[in-house]
Amino acid sequence: MSTIKELYAYRQMIISLVKKDLRGRYKGSVLGFMWTFINPLFQLIVYTIVFEHILDATVDKYYLYLFVALIPWIFFSSAITTGAASVLAQKELVKKIYFPRMVIPISYVTSCFVNMLLSFIVVFAVIIVTGTGFNFLALLTLPVIMIVEYIFALGMSLLTSAVTVYFRDLEHILSIVAMAWMYMTPIVYTVPPQYEKYFRLNPMTHIIECYRTVLYNKQVPDLSTLLLAAGLGVFFLIFGAMVFNKLQRHFAEEL
Amino acid sequence: MAGNEIAIEVKDVTKSFKVYLDKGSQLKERLLSFKRNRYEERRVLRGISFKVNKGEAIGLIGRNGCGKSTTLKLLTRIMYPDSGTIKLNGRVSSLIELGAGFHPDMSGRENIYTNASIFGLTKKEIDARLNDIIEFSELERYIDNPVRTYSSGMYMRLAFSVAINVDADILLIDEILAVGDANFQAKCFAKLKEIKKQGTTIVIVSHALSQIEQICDRSIWIYDGLIRSEGAPKDVDLEYLDFMSLEMQKTMNTGNSMGECETERHGNGNARIEKVSSFSSEGEEQTVFRTGESIVFKIDYSVREKVEDAVFGLGVFNSNGVSCYGTNTRIDRFGIYDISKDGTTEIVLENVPLLPDVYTLDFTIECGDGIPVDYCRHIYKIEILSSVGDVGVARIKHSFLLDDNVDNKAKATERIK
Repeated sequence: MSTIKELYAYRQMIISLVKKDLRGRYKGSVLGFMWTFINPLFQLIVYTIVFEHILDATVDKYYLYLFVALIPWIFFSSAITTGAASVLAQKELVKKIYFPRMVIPISYVTSCFVNMLLSFIVVFAVIIVTGTGFNFLALLTLPVIMIVEYIFALGMSLLTSAVTVYFRDLEHILSIVAMAWMYMTPIVYTVPPQYEKYFRLNPMTHIIECYRTVLYNKQVPDLSTLLLAAGLGVFFLIFGAMVFNKLQRHFAEEL
Repeated sequence: MAGNEIAIEVKDVTKSFKVYLDKGSQLKERLLSFKRNRYEERRVLRGISFKVNKGEAIGLIGRNGCGKSTTLKLLTRIMYPDSGTIKLNGRVSSLIELGAGFHPDMSGRENIYTNASIFGLTKKEIDARLNDIIEFSELERYIDNPVRTYSSGMYMRLAFSVAINVDADILLIDEILAVGDANFQAKCFAKLKEIKKQGTTIVIVSHALSQIEQICDRSIWIYDGLIRSEGAPKDVDLEYLDFMSLEMQKTMNTGNSMGECETERHGNGNARIEKVSSFSSEGEEQTVFRTGESIVFKIDYSVREKVEDAVFGLGVFNSNGVSCYGTNTRIDRFGIYDISKDGTTEIVLENVPLLPDVYTLDFTIECGDGIPVDYCRHIYKIEILSSVGDVGVARIKHSFLLDDNVDNKAKATERIK
């Protein structure tokens, strides 16, 4: 409880770190902030060419099928990989000044989250340009899905950022894990029915499916799926926060 | 009630560090040396307890590695104690790491927001302080330029201005006031005094004892992870200086054998200075003295051939090579004497007014009109310490006479006499 109160007091620090990160990311490049949009767009083009034209995917409007899942996935994977290194990256700050340490992973995940929101402008643009259209009732659940994913990503990143301080290999292990995880989540393909029960164990499966139900199938997602995802998200957040709180006591000495 | 409220309570705090001899944090290294992760445990704090009342200013003193900076880090909550408790009442700000989170490409104004937010200020609170911060930093004209265009002095001024305007209840300071030019330093010092008057609790770690004496109500001397002494800064600081001079002697004595100084000597060698040693007026052998103390040098010499009309002399040089004093028995009109047997000469320097520095000494034996017999340059070293902050080569006896219009608080000069 006191942690939450303290984090609230330090909200301005989170805001300035997020701002600094977003502004600093493309500083000096010619296209600057446009890269936030160009990146997902080109990923979309590449995946579409590979899967739709070369591998002959049978799914209708495959580019959209892929895109509405890929953008949330990019947020999640960047949140856990850059999140893992976040405390290490700010070690000068951690070693020399006091602030609630959770501010660091929170601001990293938030900055990835803001990036995803901006990428969603491209998603919406694609949906409008291709004439797919929206189900506005379903669209109302989209923020809830996003928040659930944010909570889950934050929980994971609290866990990984704290452990990485003591065990630096984790940062590199995680980039492999993230790659494998992507293929264990139905992003580029539909899950074959015989494997479905295994895929259900993966929290990201539920989250990605919710996104797809809303934006691709234009339906209100199954409440139980959403609740299950939310439950898992909250569980990981609490677990991550507890581990983080325990490990952060010796950050200054380990860094 | 306000006077007795406790701002900081430290109780039986201990802290050790693991010093890894060869630390591996990679998987391979961890696995390979699973049981052989060798480390030494260094106990930095061995049970420290103290209380600081609200509005009180205390100074932590002690030599390097005694644990005073660790204590400060525990107070800022960068680290946590192994055992014991630390209670802090109120918002804590530290002048330990100035300019945390500064981004060189952002303007001074933007960096004020980032930096202040790290101290836990909200946007509203920063808005309210912005003008004070800019005004104090004296950077009005440059505040919208990127920080990378600032000189290092401007950078520190901005950083200091933010930190000092946080309005903390407890302010922790490590080795302050090396910021900017003399004017700005004076301003910082004045600001600190003002902050203290407003009831902020201050903890300072510093080697500059005179600063501590000016600001602090109490000094705490930490030695080897324990509190050795605490009390009024004047008393504790003196005790500390005395102790330090003893300690230093032990280390200096080993380095003060004649061979190790870069001694140059020339002369006909009919007599030879064999050994130089120094004593306090009480007869205790030491090489570290305080300004104003008397020093007795004993010079043991051997004689190979009788030296007629001998002259003993000495010269004192400070660390910049400036000759501070020199004389000999001829200058002193001591009269003519010969030396024909081995013996010892004593030279007594009374109430030496030299200010803190390491001094190199020449001792000489000459004969006749300055014919060197054994002219030893840089044969001996002494160190002078003082708790007063006056500057120069030697302390000139002085007093300030203020007219009656001045409030009678200004009795500071009495202390120096």
